[in-house]
Amino acid sequence: MSSDALVTVSGLHKSFGDVEVLRGIDFEVARGEVVAIIGPSGSGKTTMLRCVNLLERPSAGRIEVDGRVLCEENADGSMRFSDKAEIRAIREHVGMVFQRFNLFPHFTAVENVIEAPMAVRGLSRKDAKARALELLDSVGLAHKADSYPLQLSGGQQQRVAIARALAMDPAFMLFDEVTSAVDPELAGEILLVMKRLAQEGMTMLVVTHEMGFAAEVADRVLFIDHGLIVEEGPAKEVLGKPKHQRTRSFLRAVLERAPMAEEEIDDDEL
Amino acid sequence: MEWDVVLESFPLIWKGAGKTVGLFAWSLAVGTVLGLAVALMKLSSAKPLSWFATGFSWLFRGIPLLILLFYAFFALPEVGWLLSPFWAAVLGLSLWTAAYQAEAIRSGIIAVDQGQTEASDALGMTRSHSMRRIIIPQSIRIMVPPFTSNATTLLKQTSLATLVTVPEMTLLTQRIFSNNFKFIEPIFVLAMIYLAMTTVLIIGQLIVERTFRLRT
Repeated sequence: MSSDALVTVSGLHKSFGDVEVLRGIDFEVARGEVVAIIGPSGSGKTTMLRCVNLLERPSAGRIEVDGRVLCEENADGSMRFSDKAEIRAIREHVGMVFQRFNLFPHFTAVENVIEAPMAVRGLSRKDAKARALELLDSVGLAHKADSYPLQLSGGQQQRVAIARALAMDPAFMLFDEVTSAVDPELAGEILLVMKRLAQEGMTMLVVTHEMGFAAEVADRVLFIDHGLIVEEGPAKEVLGKPKHQRTRSFLRAVLERAPMAEEEIDDDEL
Repeated sequence: MEWDVVLESFPLIWKGAGKTVGLFAWSLAVGTVLGLAVALMKLSSAKPLSWFATGFSWLFRGIPLLILLFYAFFALPEVGWLLSPFWAAVLGLSLWTAAYQAEAIRSGIIAVDQGQTEASDALGMTRSHSMRRIIIPQSIRIMVPPFTSNATTLLKQTSLATLVTVPEMTLLTQRIFSNNFKFIEPIFVLAMIYLAMTTVLIIGQLIVERTFRLRT
């Protein structure tokens, strides 16, 4: 285990009822690293991401973020989770951006950004607002500070959501298919903000269907399918010279918009 | 209909308006606070709280209001708790309306997108903070119509306090027709006053809905 790992996940399992969505996931994210998670719909990639800040509670496994253990297994195999206060303290340092933005619709853009810094970190309204306006400016939305979410385009809402997460000065960030709910021509403005964050050294775990972004920005790519990491490695290798048949089939389906080969899916399930 | 009888009846009935409004306002206030508590208990992950809340709703929605009023007025003194007719009626009406308001409030809270709670959690907010600042303000918009509907019903049901001798409008109306045996005019006046009062509530609903409308 490398000493500069910011996130360490081992033996992660998650079931919803009888359905086992994650079947034993191990990975690390080093400080400053950008890791893209790709995989077919229903592969478990979003669930895996949501486990990292305990929005989903793992059925088994150990998760450590920045030296703090969120959950681990007891000797008898039952799960032990950190207490509420500890989980909140960890979440403070883990920014999350959602597929469907999840902005607070009754607050303006700037109010969305200042709420948590004031409530959680105890910043004064004045300080929080000054910082929020800087952040909104950095995502190109200073002029929309007083707009309500429903007055903004999807791309603008998502950039406000990124500013909201950044306002907590996170140690690393989780991105859950953040361009999937916006019109294709607006995805670029979100990806541009994310690319700049990566260049500034932000540690990022990114679930995405944007292969161009993964190829250009990610240090490492994890391909996940049926709840397991099938292939991982430097972005160039996984995306350029995939070793596994499943990875090749998936990439072909995404890049050429061709359906994934059925027999391969059957093979995998046997 | 004799209009001079209408005019004579009005001031006599109107004298009870204060009691009617008093019963309504106290019961709505107590019932809403209690209803909010019951709604939050019902949503709580602590089993004893949600069981208590479920039992509360079941009990007070399942027993006729009139019987609750009889309990408060006739039965409680038997066990040494003597309330004036007015406060006995407020007690019965409050418990009864709280059970309905709890359902209106709970349905408003669960209708708020789950993503709002997740975003609050991910930002490290406490549950009580996100309830207060994020979830409840958004649920108000959703709960206003059923809440107002309950309030309108409550206002009309204050007339049952007649039967535990509160001198509100309905009781005063009965006094008129037991004196002069004129029914049409006093009942007409009474109906019009209730209608005017419920109209005010419905206008209030429109104003609140407009205030909490999401800005698009």
